[in-house]
Amino acid sequence: MASSEIDEFERLLFDWEDGTLNAAGITRLRKLLHVNSDVRKAYVKRQFFGAIIRLDGDAGISSLAINEGEEDAVLFPVSDGAKFPANQPVDGKAGKIQITQGSGNVTRGSIRRNASLLFVFAASILLCVVLGRWLIVESRLQSAGSDRTAANTALPEKQEATSVGIALVTRLVDVTWQPSEKPFMVGDALPVGVVGLESGVAQIEFFCGATVILEGPSRLVLESSTVARLQSGRLRAQVPPAARGFQIHAEELKVVDLGTEFGVAVNEGEADVQVFDGEVELYHSNGEQRLVTAGKAVTRAVNGVLEDAELTPNMFLGLEGLDDRVRSQKQSRYQRWLEHSMKLRRDPRVITYYSMEQDRSWKRKLASSVVPENRDLDGAIVGAKRVVGRWPQKSGIEFKRPGDRVRVNIPGEFGSLTFACWVKIDSLDRWYSSLFLTDNYQRGEPHWQILDTGQLFFSVRLGEGRGKGHHKVLSPPFWDASLSGRWLHLATTYDVETMTTTHFLNGEKMCEERIPDELFVKQTCVGKATIGNWSSPTRPEADFAIRNLNGSMDEFVLFRDALKPDEVRDLFIQGSP
Amino acid sequence: MSETEQTEVFVQQLAECQGRMFGYIYSMLGEHSRAMDVVQETNLALWRKKDEFREGAPFMPWALAIARFQVLAHVRDQGRDKCLLDSELVAALSEEIEQQVDQLESMRIALRQCMSDLPREKIEMIKSRYYRSMTIAEIASAMGRQADAVKVALLRLRRALADCMHRKMLED
Repeated sequence: MASSEIDEFERLLFDWEDGTLNAAGITRLRKLLHVNSDVRKAYVKRQFFGAIIRLDGDAGISSLAINEGEEDAVLFPVSDGAKFPANQPVDGKAGKIQITQGSGNVTRGSIRRNASLLFVFAASILLCVVLGRWLIVESRLQSAGSDRTAANTALPEKQEATSVGIALVTRLVDVTWQPSEKPFMVGDALPVGVVGLESGVAQIEFFCGATVILEGPSRLVLESSTVARLQSGRLRAQVPPAARGFQIHAEELKVVDLGTEFGVAVNEGEADVQVFDGEVELYHSNGEQRLVTAGKAVTRAVNGVLEDAELTPNMFLGLEGLDDRVRSQKQSRYQRWLEHSMKLRRDPRVITYYSMEQDRSWKRKLASSVVPENRDLDGAIVGAKRVVGRWPQKSGIEFKRPGDRVRVNIPGEFGSLTFACWVKIDSLDRWYSSLFLTDNYQRGEPHWQILDTGQLFFSVRLGEGRGKGHHKVLSPPFWDASLSGRWLHLATTYDVETMTTTHFLNGEKMCEERIPDELFVKQTCVGKATIGNWSSPTRPEADFAIRNLNGSMDEFVLFRDALKPDEVRDLFIQGSP
Repeated sequence: MSETEQTEVFVQQLAECQGRMFGYIYSMLGEHSRAMDVVQETNLALWRKKDEFREGAPFMPWALAIARFQVLAHVRDQGRDKCLLDSELVAALSEEIEQQVDQLESMRIALRQCMSDLPREKIEMIKSRYYRSMTIAEIASAMGRQADAVKVALLRLRRALADCMHRKMLED
């Protein structure tokens, strides 16, 4: 019975969508939804399908050639024109781009451009859309006042359960983490919990606006975006007026900031509070209360008594001092990378290597760094700009516009391969964002790119024909907006001995996959290729696919070998900014 | 973080969740232009409430919770004539749809793969129905076929594509 109800439901839903379902039918459809949980499941499944297919329709990407055979799969040939009425625009509401079929000869290229425009504009038009719709909705809301209160007052429970981040790690210098505590990276959001430094310095910015410089060894317990407890160690807090009321708890003292800069140290039962600027209120758990002003210091001795103490500002590293240390860390990391890079240039396994290091900004040639020198491997920069790379003294290349690219020509035949690069992704606007794509994608040629889902994609072309074109290996999604603007190390190995492809992020293996025998290619080659984009294939019917990376690259290397995991890890460590 | 930067982060998150939000709202309403209206109303509500959003907290659950309110308000205003779901059904389906939303992007990829295996005529039918929102009658007359035949074909096609999509999802 259940399955016949589902069949009935499907027909009813279909008619309802078509606008041809009568009142009795609608009642029946609702009834089915109310009483049959399988129908509800089927409803969700069908509607989701409808949503997805319409999303692709809206995006105007229906004409893109995709997947499997990539450019050879002509999925949506241009309509004959005769069969369908002309000028059937997709509902063009809310700043969407209309796709008109016109006389039926809209080229795939132009639809692609529409699609990419949509993506590019999506973020920027959003505000305009929001503001543009404001007045309309505003008046609608005023006429229905109850809506407004319903929407504004009752906050759903889900919102309460989301206390994930209360502060950000903004700088780290020579940090080692306490083994019992979680390590963090610059840019990470800190949840409620312990930050445990074994050594080094961490700059933590609370969402309330207070900045804390924590010096190891120390343990700081983050309790909320305005309260932290120093269990041991030393910190200096800078609290702008907007963050007044920020509190540091130390032993049984509570330091409430009144807009200032102060230091707190906890050591073997003693707590020091020093005020460098402004004033703080000090509360003792025994009820004692003090106002401590600039230039004053108070110690709570082991026996619990508060005493005046001498100010020692130099004991507490400030923002300026941290800046010096960051700079010297950057310098030493750059030096470390440079030494490593010098060795890499002579590695006989390197096919081509662009360190992107010594070039001048006006040069449009991307010099190959391989030693002995081979000028034939030099790349040509088209459109892309030179920008600051991982360190201020080093350059990288920024890909922004749809035409931006670096052209290379790499002759020869190879077996195993390893691709590795440092990349900073601003956003993933395209279905495919290119890291390295060969022009024609013929037998043995690799494609290395990132999907808009944040997955790393690697494939080597086998041959023509759908389903036989290649075997793609996708990593789990590794990128989301929280990584925007961060330098990441990506690497992929293609091992012809074990027939496996392995993806790495920041020196860690993300996934490994064996290639099925029938899709495996033993001999690889590159030829003409593009970094950061895809050059239109030379076949006449092929279209210009926009696959430019939106971001920057700093260092790119290709090996004629599948690097071992520890070698990939070493590339990451030696090049970490 | 400065106010401008916070706004940027917020707008970025808002932009990124548009697809999933549409998926959620469309699933509730089942009608394209009304779903777009409610998406925009939700955007507006989110924008107004942006100060309430705690940065670093997951954006999506918050956005969906507010989207649900907007859907409920829409269902209440438009009433039974226009909306298939009543508020009870919205509540009953909400959780399941929220779970599906997380898979939206991988579903899109799976569906593209499934579409690529279709013959040309069938793709045209799908495009007419879903991209151009043509009615069955319009499609039938454009193709010179009986409406019933088109309906049966589309029903089958939709089921096959949806099944293919879910199968591909399981393969991954």
